[in-house]
Amino acid sequence: MRYYSYFPGCSLEATAVAYGLSTQAITGALDMELIELEDWNCCGSTPYGSTNELESLCIAARNLALAEKTGLDLVTPCSSCYTTLNRANSQLREYPDLKGKVDECLATAGLEYKGTVKIRHLFEVIFNDTGLKTIESKVMNPLTGLRVAPYYGCQLVRPEPSFDNQQNPQSLDRLIASLGAEPVPFPLKDRCCGGSLIIPELDLALGLIHQLLESAGSNGAQCIVTVCPLCQTNLDAYQGMVNSKFGTSYNLPILFFTQLLGVALGIELQGLGLDKGVISAEKVLAPSVTMAEPAT
Amino acid sequence: MGTKAYLMVKMEMSYARDGHTDGMKELKAMPEIETVEPVSGDYDFVIAATVDAPVRVASVASEIRAKEWVKNLDVLKVEPAAPNPFLDEVCSTPGGECVRWCVQCGMCSASCPNVGKMDYSPRKIIALIRAGRRYDVLTSNSMWVCASCYLCTVRCPKDVKPTELMHALERLSFHHGLRHGATSTPAMYNAFVNSINNNGRVHELGVMSKFYLKTNPLAVLKMIPIGLKLLSRGRMPLKPRKIRGINQLKTIIEKANVLGGAQ
Ligand code: SF4
Ligand code: SF4
Repeated sequence: MRYYSYFPGCSLEATAVAYGLSTQAITGALDMELIELEDWNCCGSTPYGSTNELESLCIAARNLALAEKTGLDLVTPCSSCYTTLNRANSQLREYPDLKGKVDECLATAGLEYKGTVKIRHLFEVIFNDTGLKTIESKVMNPLTGLRVAPYYGCQLVRPEPSFDNQQNPQSLDRLIASLGAEPVPFPLKDRCCGGSLIIPELDLALGLIHQLLESAGSNGAQCIVTVCPLCQTNLDAYQGMVNSKFGTSYNLPILFFTQLLGVALGIELQGLGLDKGVISAEKVLAPSVTMAEPAT
Repeated sequence: MGTKAYLMVKMEMSYARDGHTDGMKELKAMPEIETVEPVSGDYDFVIAATVDAPVRVASVASEIRAKEWVKNLDVLKVEPAAPNPFLDEVCSTPGGECVRWCVQCGMCSASCPNVGKMDYSPRKIIALIRAGRRYDVLTSNSMWVCASCYLCTVRCPKDVKPTELMHALERLSFHHGLRHGATSTPAMYNAFVNSINNNGRVHELGVMSKFYLKTNPLAVLKMIPIGLKLLSRGRMPLKPRKIRGINQLKTIIEKANVLGGAQ
């Protein structure tokens, strides 16, 4: 059993509840335990860092200080939290000035951050620590014939070089293949969905989402799999708007990688939050799911 | 303060006829060089370059002299560069330090998914900063349509980190109260930050409502169908979640406020 400190992030309490549910549902089968960071606060995301540098580092550092006490790696399923917390870590390393001020601020609240926490993305943890071999051996319902577009988005592999190619990543493709499904070519797999600009710059974001759907759809994808709550919401909830704006008729379910894993691992479907999608995944998953029945 | 130098270049005879444009391109690619003008007479080009100290003029000159097509180079004039307080300000803002290294290759602009919506591309923004055009830069919409996709950052050959620069410019724009009229991203950012400061976590419905009320209450109509779909699937909680340590968080933020260093 591997233990990690867990930072779900705000989206997992709202638009991405399905991500949280499916994450918790699969950890047991993967021999890992995620221990939620006690009383975590929002990481600050891009908006805070673009408003006030010192405050944004302070609020990120409160989480890091809490996590440091656990002595465990801090794992988050949200690509934005992952990038923001990592950015805070490196800013504190690179700017001793700011670090000094952040230390002072934390001290007023009786906290201290030495700078030792390692922040990891849930996908990377499952890919590297659990590993595809183990996953493959645990697959109960191979997703044979399911054509899946692997959507990495921006902030899993960028800006810091980590575990995969920064412009043509392969890890999610390989995970999909290990579940018996077929990763389709998806040229825009690392491109932007618009992120939180979906609110202030709706038209711009719809344009980006349209391109993504077109790239996945034209390559025969039956669904798109993502590792980021913002990507899921943008592509799922706004797909209808894209259709009416561009005269298209996409009907592509957008699944979290944890949901796909859950289905393949034979986890009870109710626990995977599959009913949360605006675009239902029932049809595309039906073949794999019905195959599961005899086993139960 | 920087130093400005004017250099005169004569080309080798064999290159002089066809090599003009190639030579100009090569010179313009040097980060220190601002302008290259063809001239007639004893020299072929006059170059204006800005460097950080007088001694660097010599290294730029010898770099140009080393090019095989350069016959000779003379330094016409060296003078203190006009002060550029905006460049200094950007360079002293975390994330803005690297604009001096930019070679204006345009890779960032070519990679940017949102460049079509920007008043100035990322490359141009840097050129404007180096030209001291504070008002044009801080009232542009460029940084506000940056989606932090980091593609420019991983592709930039000089490690300028344009994404960080965009965030630095957003903070400077907030700090100076200079704002692009048509972008509503700052209003969304404000609503977002307020939500965190009040609850410790972001309440998406609260952020959206506040944002639309502030910017365009009618636009909310367009969003209602999506809102309802999310609501019916339990994806849009009506009430914010407050963390238990909200007072602790507030103490930290207040202290940060006192210490300053906002940008
Ligand atoms: S990619 Fe880098 S060096 Fe090239 S123009 Fe952009 S910031 Fe400058
Ligand atoms: S990070 Fe911003 S500026 Fe850079 S390519 Fe992406 S959207 Fe454009």
